[in-house]
Amino acid sequence: MTTLEDPTRTVIGEGVDRVDAPLKTTGAAHYPNDYTYPGMVHAALVGSTIAAGRIRSIDASEAQRAPGVLTVITHLTAPQLERGPMTLLGPSPPAPMQDDRILHYGQHIAVVVADSPEQARHAASLVNVEYEPAEALLDIEDPRAEILENPWGLDSERGDVSAGFAQADVVVDERYTTPDNTNNPLGLFTSIASWHGDSVTVHDSTQWPHNVRTSIAQIFRIPESGVRVLAPFVGGGFGAGLRVWCHTILTAMAAREVKRPVKLVLTRPQMFTSVGHRPNSVQHIKIGATSSGDLTAIEHRAISSVAMEDDDYEPVAAGSAVAYECPNLLTHDRQARLNIPCPGSMRAPAEGQGNFALESAIDEVAHALGMDPLELRLRNYAEQHPVLGLPWSSKALRECYTLGAERFGWSRRTPAIGSMRDGDWLVGYGLAGVSYPFYQVPCQARASLRRDGSAYVTSAATDIGTGTYTVMTQLAAECLGLDLNRVRFDLGDSDMPYSPQAGGSGLTGALANAVHMACGNLVREFLDIVRDDDASPLRGAAAEEVTASGGRLHRTDAPDQGEAYTDILNRHGLEELSADGRSTPPDPQKIGMATAGAFGAKFVEVRIDPQLGLLRVARVVSAIDGGRILNEKTASSQITGGTVGGISQAMFEETATDAGTGRIANATFGDYLMPVNADIPDMEVIFCGGPDRATTVGTKGVGEVGLVGMAAAIGNAIHHATGRRLRSLPFTIDQLLL
Amino acid sequence: MKHVDTPTRPGEATSEIPDVEVTLNVNGDPYRMRLDSRVTLLDALRDHLGLTGAKKGCDQGACGACTVLVDGKRIVSCLALAAQYDGREITTLEGLTDDGEPHPLQKAFARHDAFQCGYCTPGQIMSAVSLQAEGRAGTDADICEFMSGNICRCGAYPNIRAAIRDVVSEANDASV
Ligand code: FES
Ligand code: FES
Repeated sequence: MTTLEDPTRTVIGEGVDRVDAPLKTTGAAHYPNDYTYPGMVHAALVGSTIAAGRIRSIDASEAQRAPGVLTVITHLTAPQLERGPMTLLGPSPPAPMQDDRILHYGQHIAVVVADSPEQARHAASLVNVEYEPAEALLDIEDPRAEILENPWGLDSERGDVSAGFAQADVVVDERYTTPDNTNNPLGLFTSIASWHGDSVTVHDSTQWPHNVRTSIAQIFRIPESGVRVLAPFVGGGFGAGLRVWCHTILTAMAAREVKRPVKLVLTRPQMFTSVGHRPNSVQHIKIGATSSGDLTAIEHRAISSVAMEDDDYEPVAAGSAVAYECPNLLTHDRQARLNIPCPGSMRAPAEGQGNFALESAIDEVAHALGMDPLELRLRNYAEQHPVLGLPWSSKALRECYTLGAERFGWSRRTPAIGSMRDGDWLVGYGLAGVSYPFYQVPCQARASLRRDGSAYVTSAATDIGTGTYTVMTQLAAECLGLDLNRVRFDLGDSDMPYSPQAGGSGLTGALANAVHMACGNLVREFLDIVRDDDASPLRGAAAEEVTASGGRLHRTDAPDQGEAYTDILNRHGLEELSADGRSTPPDPQKIGMATAGAFGAKFVEVRIDPQLGLLRVARVVSAIDGGRILNEKTASSQITGGTVGGISQAMFEETATDAGTGRIANATFGDYLMPVNADIPDMEVIFCGGPDRATTVGTKGVGEVGLVGMAAAIGNAIHHATGRRLRSLPFTIDQLLL
Repeated sequence: MKHVDTPTRPGEATSEIPDVEVTLNVNGDPYRMRLDSRVTLLDALRDHLGLTGAKKGCDQGACGACTVLVDGKRIVSCLALAAQYDGREITTLEGLTDDGEPHPLQKAFARHDAFQCGYCTPGQIMSAVSLQAEGRAGTDADICEFMSGNICRCGAYPNIRAAIRDVVSEANDASV
C-alpha cells in the first residue's frame, strides 16, 4: 500500500494554497454570526456589575415592556439546569443563572430576547438590578484566598534539590510574574439555536463541536442524536472555544422558551468576561549551576488564579521538569480561587507563562557564569525524557539551536551588555528554547469514494485557522492516489465522525492518523470487493501489495496490473464505498519511547531607544521541530502567528482588573493592546528534524509552540542591550526608560 | 430597485425609535430600505442585505474587520449609521470580484497565505484596495503604517504585507 515515505509522492509537505482560500477571500466562508434563520430573533445579555455578593432584586418589567421584546429571563425565571459533563479538559462551566449569587464581574444575570439586536440591546439596558455586594477576592496573593495544591497531580520531584544547590557555584533565585491575558479571537463568539421539538441545531464559535453536542444534550436532557452543532468556520479561538460557555447554554435556553431561532453575539467587552482568559501567575524559580555550566538543581514554584466554582488546566511550573537534563529538580503548582471570570486555555496555556520564567532564568545563569546562553542550553540538553527516562520519539532541538543560530547570525553577538549599537539604537540578541508537551486524544474519520472517482473525507473537527481543511485534503489525496481537486475534506459538523478539540496542538496528529487509517481501510474495501473478481487485475491482492496512484490501484511490483476505482465501482454496481478510521495516542511504555511534542529555538533581535524607552522587535528566527510538516505554507503561518502571539504576550497584553470592583478596566480593542501590522517585522521560520516515530503520519502539532519562548527571548535580548532584567510581563516603556 | 423592510411582528407597538428610509447603493445595486435608525451600516449590510462579507470584530471602530469602501474611500462600517449613507456608493468584499474573476488582491492573499482564520480578511482586503488608491502602498513602511488599522489576531501581518507588495509590483510591472 502507499506509504508516506514514497519519494515519488509530492502532495504531502508541499506548500499548497489553502483549499478554503477562495471562500475566505471572497466573503463566502460563513462564520457562526453570518447565519440567519427565518423568524430568527436576537438575544442580549445583562452582566453583573459587581464581582461578589448577591442579587437583592432584579426588575425586568421595564425591559419586558420595551418595543420588540419577547422575553427577559433571569435566575428567577430560568429553568433548572444541570451542569454540563466532565470532558477531556475537565469539568464544564457551572450552569448559568441558577441562583442569586454573584461570583465574578460580568457574570450573566439576565438574557433579553427581542425581534432585532438593537431592541434586545436597548432592553438589556433597562433591566434594574440591586445587589448586596460582598468583598471580592481579586488579588492572587490575597492570603484569604483558598489555595489548591498540586491541582493536576503534575508536580515533579527528582534527586535532592538542596544538595544540588549546595553543589552549585552560581545560584539564580528570582520572582517572575505574568498578567492576565485575554484570548480575543477576532470573531465575536456567537451562538444560534433553532429547536424543532426536542431536537436542536446550534451554530457556535467552538473549537469542539462534539463537546457542544454532548453538553447541550446533557443539560437539556435530550438525546445526543437530536443535537446538531455546526462550525465550518470559526473566527479564531486560541483556546476560547474549547469549553461550552454559559452564553451558548443561554441561547439554547432562550430559543426553547420563545420557540423561535435565537441568535446571540457577544460584545467585545463580554469577550473579556465570558469565554476564558490566560490567568496571571507568580513564579519563583531557582536554578543552580557549576562554574563549568552544568545545571545542578532547578526549583520552580508557580501559582495562578482560578475562578470560585470552576476549574482550569494551567500547570505553569510542570513544563520545567522536561526541559533540561538536571539531576535535582522540583516543580510545584498551585491555584488561588478568586472572584474572577473563569480562566481557560489560551494559546500555549501554562507553557507560555512557565517558559518565560524558566528561559529567562537560564539566561540569568548564563550571564552569571559568563557563558554563551546557547552553549549553556546545549550543554544541559536532555537527550532522554528526564521524567520517563525513555528516548524521545523525536527530538531535533539541537538542530533547531544550531540551524537557527546560523540563520540568525548568533555568532555575531558580542556578549558584553550594551556592546551592540546601530546609531542611536541599542541592539540586543536573545534566545530561548522550547520543549512543548505532547498531547493527543482519540479521533475518528470517514473516507468515501464516489462513482465518479472523487473522494469525500470527513471528521467533526474544526479549522480555526490552522489549515486543517487543507492538510487533511492533501493527506487523503496522497493516501488514495488522487489529485487534490478530486478530494474534498469536510469538517465542523457534529454529525460527522467524532473529533476531539482543536487544542493542545493535538488535532493534526490525531486527525491525520485517523484519516490515514480511513483511507487505508477504504483501499481494503476495494480489494475486498475484487477478491474473487476474475475481471480484476487486482484479484486476491493484499493491501500491502498495492499502490494507489492516478485514481487507480495497482500492484506495486507491476504497475500495469491495476484498475481505476471507478471501474471497480461500476462493475460491481456500487454508487460509493466508505470506510472509517480512528486513531488512539501511543502509549510511551508500549512503544518504549517518550512521545514528543514540538521543539523550538527562538532567536530575537531587539532595538531599544534608551532615551525614549522604545522597544522594537527587529528580527525573529524560529527554528521548529514539528515532526512531519504536512504543508510548509500553513505550518509556517502557524509558527508566524504563534510568534506574533508571543510578541504580544511579551510587549502588549495585560487585562487590567480594577482592584476595588473586579471590573475589567480595559475590555475594548481600543484599550487592550495587541500588535498591529507596524509592530511586527518580517520573520523567518525554519523546520528541523523529520517525521516523529510515535505515530504513522509522524506530525507534531505546531499551533502553540511558536508562541512559547518569545517572552523570554525578548526579555533576554533586552538584558543584552541594556543590562536590565525584566521579570514582569508585559515589558512596557516605563520599565525601559534608562 | 430592491426593497428590504425591517421585520416587525403584527400587533407590535411600533418602536419609539423612529424608522428611517434609506437607499444604499451596494456593489452597484440600489437597495431601498426601511430601518430602525440605530442600525449601523455594518448591520444593514450583514443583517438586512445578507452581505456577510464585512465582519464584526469589535463594533467599536477599533479592529477594521468591518472595513468597506464608501465612494471609493475606506471606512469602518460599524461606526457608521446606515441612515447617514443614503445615496452613497458602497463597495463590500462581495463587490470586488469582477464577473466571477477575483480581484488581484484576493488572489494574492490566497497565494501568500495572508490569513489563518480568515475573519479579518475581508477588512484587510478592502483596506488594501483602498491603500493602493490612496497611493500608500509604495513602500513597506507605508504598508505597515496604513494597514495598522486592521487587526489580525492570528498574526498574518508579514504575509498580508507580502500579498500587497506582490500586487503593487505586478501593477507597476504592468504599467511599465
Ligand atoms: S467591527 Fe468595526 S472596527 Fe471592529
Ligand atoms: S486571519 Fe484570523 S484574525 Fe486575521
